[in-house]
Amino acid sequence: MNVLTRLADFFAAFGHYPAYILAYLFETLFMIVFVMVSLVAMIYIFRKYMARLQLRVGPNRVGKFGTLQLIADSLKLAGKESILPSGRDDLPFRIAPIIVFLGLITGFALLPYGQFYFIGSLTVTHSDVSLLLLFAALAIMPIGEILAGISSRNKYAVVGALRGVAKDVSFEIPMMISVLALVMMASAKTANPLNLSNLVEVQFIPYGIPQIIGLGVFFIAMVARASFSPFDMSESDSELVSGHSTEYTGMRFGMFYMGLFGSIFLSSLVVSLLYLGGYNGPYSGYAGFVFLLIKGLILVLISFTIWLSVPRIRIDKFVNMGWKYLLPASIINLIIAGVLTLGLGI
Amino acid sequence: MMGPRISNPDENGWVELNMGPQHPSTHGVLRLKVKLDGEIVREVEPVIGYLHRNAEKICELDYYCDSMIYFDRMDYVGAMNMEVGYLEAAEKLLGIPPPERVQWIRVVMAELSRVASHLVWAGAFGLDLGMLTPFFYCFVEREKILRIFVEACGSRQETNYMSIGGVYQDFNDKLIHDILEFTEQFPKKLEDIFNAYVKNDIFISRTKGIGILEPEVALDYGVTGPMLRASGVDYDVRKAEPYLVYDKINFDIPVSHKKDNLARFLVRFEEMRQSIKIINQAVKKIPDGPYFNPKAKKSLMIRLRGEGEVYARTESSKGEFGVYLVGDGGVKPYRVRVRSPSLKNLSVLPYLAKDQMIADMVAISGTTDLVFGEVDR
Amino acid sequence: MVEILEESTGKDGRRVLKVAKENLVQLMKELKSHGFVHLSLITGIDRKDRLEVVYHLQNLEKNEYIAVKTETLDERVPSVTSVFTSANWDEREQYDLMGIVFEGHPNLKRLFLPESWVGHPLRKNYDISKVQYINMDENGEDYATFDPGDGW
Repeated sequence: MNVLTRLADFFAAFGHYPAYILAYLFETLFMIVFVMVSLVAMIYIFRKYMARLQLRVGPNRVGKFGTLQLIADSLKLAGKESILPSGRDDLPFRIAPIIVFLGLITGFALLPYGQFYFIGSLTVTHSDVSLLLLFAALAIMPIGEILAGISSRNKYAVVGALRGVAKDVSFEIPMMISVLALVMMASAKTANPLNLSNLVEVQFIPYGIPQIIGLGVFFIAMVARASFSPFDMSESDSELVSGHSTEYTGMRFGMFYMGLFGSIFLSSLVVSLLYLGGYNGPYSGYAGFVFLLIKGLILVLISFTIWLSVPRIRIDKFVNMGWKYLLPASIINLIIAGVLTLGLGI
Repeated sequence: MMGPRISNPDENGWVELNMGPQHPSTHGVLRLKVKLDGEIVREVEPVIGYLHRNAEKICELDYYCDSMIYFDRMDYVGAMNMEVGYLEAAEKLLGIPPPERVQWIRVVMAELSRVASHLVWAGAFGLDLGMLTPFFYCFVEREKILRIFVEACGSRQETNYMSIGGVYQDFNDKLIHDILEFTEQFPKKLEDIFNAYVKNDIFISRTKGIGILEPEVALDYGVTGPMLRASGVDYDVRKAEPYLVYDKINFDIPVSHKKDNLARFLVRFEEMRQSIKIINQAVKKIPDGPYFNPKAKKSLMIRLRGEGEVYARTESSKGEFGVYLVGDGGVKPYRVRVRSPSLKNLSVLPYLAKDQMIADMVAISGTTDLVFGEVDR
Repeated sequence: MVEILEESTGKDGRRVLKVAKENLVQLMKELKSHGFVHLSLITGIDRKDRLEVVYHLQNLEKNEYIAVKTETLDERVPSVTSVFTSANWDEREQYDLMGIVFEGHPNLKRLFLPESWVGHPLRKNYDISKVQYINMDENGEDYATFDPGDGW
């Protein structure tokens, strides 16, 4: 019994199809609220954690322990004038932050969330190819960033967008090859390995253990996807001011900011789903969602710690790493997965 | 409809990019006109003067004792060194040598100031490379030094602690105790900061072998200080032409022959360790005596007259800091000329950054340790 | 060796060589070949009737110090940029603030002040009570004005 069918039952008076349309609509709204709340919580945790690491206090003025600081910040951002540069390419400039934000929401809508006590399964999308859909959705956000970089007609933004393209090209292929290895292993257990729910449920032991190389490659790719340090060359603040979002102000900038933190959260959830057993765990029939959140949060904190303690890697070195280390590593991982699946029958 | 072209490449296909004077990485108001070939920097032209106050002219219009504050505001992160530099020249010109006790006190303060300056540099260099956290560790340590300055003279950065023929306030036991307490705990903290940098592979890959400055080029461009010593030239004014009581103190001049960004980083950290060594020795050796030359009573200071020409050089945290004072027998200097090491160190940036990537150019301009109060004066 | 007009010792105990400005570059070349590779400072001094330029040089190996002085009546001094690269910015600064024209300098532009600034502030006859404002005209060119309301 999941949330979707409950909602459909609730709206049953409108007829079958309208009920499901309404149910999808409301569940998506729930999901957006969930994403927003978790983002706010995560940014708050990040700021407190960062302050603690840096011998500072962090936000402590607005609300108890500064918990309302983020709300104050977002209200401030929303109240700011959104300055449009005169040389812009108007339409791409306006829709770029929306594309980034929509890509983020779509990504969250495709994840399986597991059971949450009496509420039931929180999963929005029940598709047999949700893995493919997820990676399609993940590819939307860079398009928005590139559009933003090129349409704002700022040299910093253009260089940032070009760096973003170079970065994306160099980690996408190793990332997809390591996912391929996962699908290979899962196909021995389930008829439909492209379904994310199936992929999670066949992980009696998390796939991160037999595919430790794949986990490493995929995690690096996911941190790079989220433009988190040390892979934040596309918006490196000490060189390119802030890369593709240089010309953005107000709520448009806020969307990029949410995109940054949302995508690291999304990436962590994806990594924990694919490699760390996702919502599997003891009593996962009741508390699977909690397990997923805990695993995701731990990964987020790891990414934060990396962000705070390492310098930025240079773009040419990252491209080198992508082609010379990540790609061979992911192919080796694919071979290991093949041996494990076909040879040993795990 | 397409908008206007964002860039007009020149005949080589290079695009001009204007970094600064308001830019996160330019340490103040440096403006760099950069010609970019993709990611690669082909030409750099520094444009300076955004913080120009013409301190030399202002000093000409003031009494000898009043010029102090303009020197504080030159290298504002290492202000004590500037004061020492000016007083070296002014006291020679006016013929008012400082008493023995004052010289030791000045050494202690100058070295503390050097440590503070290098700490600011270390933190800011981390920021240039995108490394956030060590910045705060550096500033926490620097804050302790500034507390000592506040204890000594009531001011944090632009201290104005020294004056002609002496210092503003004598050292007391509490101050000496504070300084010893600081030097006792600092080396361990310094090693922590040091390890946070050098045990990081990405940091090493961003600094090693980048921005190589050959010693001949460095000398030709007039580069001094840690940058020159990182290129393998053993030249430090504290040893070459000892001022104050540096000849009575046992310390080493760190020299590296690797010539790159990492060498400059290591030299500066080793200098901090040596400074602590100097402070530890000097604090214990401060002799008793007056803290002011009786010839320069405060109320009569504006009557001091100087004649002749004096060029005094000191080793500030950035390099060789020189003050050329020309007096015509009046109560105001006839001509004041300042050799600012940052300016000369900056002038080598176009050479170093040529054919490097943008990210490396930022790192190289970070290692030159620019303070714009001093470059623009 | 070029002709030294006068040799003296300054108040700080440094040797001072005085040389005619025609012989300056030649002397600098000779000093550099004798190990004086570090040009510490170039100073221009406005002596009201003439301009004096002082070069401070150091021999790093022997740890010797020397100052070279030259004079000019017509604001023109030969540039030593060809001998020491570090003279480049120093000479630009002296041109900017003191108005000494260094002949043969590759890029003699103002270093600190805007290109259109009127006068050279370190001259003794420079009127500091006159406030200058730098404005931009329609073509993007800077121009100096003494009227605070101009252009704004």
